[in-house]
Amino acid sequence: MHAHIQQRIQGIINNLDQLPSIPDVASKVLTMVNDPDISFKAIAEEISKDQAITTNILKLCNSAYFSKGKEISSIDRAIVTLGIKEVKDIVIVAATREVLNKIIVGYDLARGELWKHGIAVAVLSKKIAIMKNKKAVADIAFTGGIIHDVGKTVLALFVQNTFREILELTQARQIPFAQAEKEIMGFDHQEIGEKILSKWKFPEVLKAIVRHHHEPEKSPAEFLPIVSIVHIANTLCLMAGIGIGADGLYHELSDTAIKTLGLSNRELEELYRDMPQILDQATAIL
Amino acid sequence: MNTLINVGVSQMGASSSPSVLRTILGSCVGICIYDRMKKIGGMAHILLPNNPGDGVAEKYADSAIPLLVNRLLKDGAKKEFLSAKLAGGASMFKFNASVTLGQIGERNVEESKKILEKNGIPVLEEDTGGNMGRVIDFFLEDGRLKVKAGGQEKLYYKV
Ligand SMILES: [Fe+2]
Ligand SMILES: [Fe+2]
Repeated sequence: MHAHIQQRIQGIINNLDQLPSIPDVASKVLTMVNDPDISFKAIAEEISKDQAITTNILKLCNSAYFSKGKEISSIDRAIVTLGIKEVKDIVIVAATREVLNKIIVGYDLARGELWKHGIAVAVLSKKIAIMKNKKAVADIAFTGGIIHDVGKTVLALFVQNTFREILELTQARQIPFAQAEKEIMGFDHQEIGEKILSKWKFPEVLKAIVRHHHEPEKSPAEFLPIVSIVHIANTLCLMAGIGIGADGLYHELSDTAIKTLGLSNRELEELYRDMPQILDQATAIL
Repeated sequence: MNTLINVGVSQMGASSSPSVLRTILGSCVGICIYDRMKKIGGMAHILLPNNPGDGVAEKYADSAIPLLVNRLLKDGAKKEFLSAKLAGGASMFKFNASVTLGQIGERNVEESKKILEKNGIPVLEEDTGGNMGRVIDFFLEDGRLKVKAGGQEKLYYKV
């Protein structure tokens, strides 16, 4: 373990200014959507205050993935046509793009690869949720998919200098990459991700997804199904090479996740077989 | 002009010198076939070993390879000058042995080799298996293959 690296990362975490930021509207919308006393009109007004994001949101509403055919030209119309949960997901896409859509050096991800990975995991997570009769949380699975690896944006700089050591430890001790990250640097990308979500004031369920996406068995029981969904979607996207970085497939495919969702071998292989379709859908959002 | 052609998941690309074909691989296999005389070649990025019969040909090793070979022959390649290189076919680091998804990488490599042999195309180099993601560049000026994995680059020259 490198104490000085651990201290530097601790310093970043302690000083919230050094963690990435997203527009305030994201956390406001996440809270408002869950408050039964708040009207859709109030939510639409809140979103519309941010001109730049509103433009992006409307573009996304009319993209091949979200569009229901009719041209949408206002946030009010978007909520009526697509539903509040879908609009909330679109707000998160628009709000997180800048933070995620960049080069991630230490993990060897070219510009846009982490963004494409997050969107593909989001689209696939939503599909798995619907397939496994968890439609009520499909939107949360989607949001969780987008941001599950957000911690990599901060940890990448440190991974760049310690990559050889992390990989050697992974191979010598036969432990997953993220566990070696923690042993060498004192932190893994899941933990940093959770800290970022605290700064963004995101809800517990999203923090659980970010924190436990590589080890669903450690998730609080109430979030286990949704964490398992994102875990499986992440695994399938990496296997298909979507956003696969220097950490490669040095991750565990969790049996707990497979059993929690009741996925058969056949279902898993079919989801993998349909990856090109998932990628096409994701591309429509990028 | 050194044109870079990105080959996506379950897609195929073919071109001539000095183009470069690139793809990113996890458990998928990149099958690179080259005619050393004509300096033309192609890459198939397959996702799974066997086509159930009605699937997209490019997605499966057993249907993508004949398709790629035919394409190259149509472009003027001669069968006796063709050779292949393989990359990819990685697996998840840990998985329960009863989960068949975990074996897809290996099955992809095996089937690719079998179908290439059936088509009489020798596999001269391979960089397969393990747990690495791979970014591969196939240079049609001389048929060399560059494999970037785990922060390191390897070059394979045999054609
Ligand atoms: Fe991750
Ligand atoms: Fe991921």
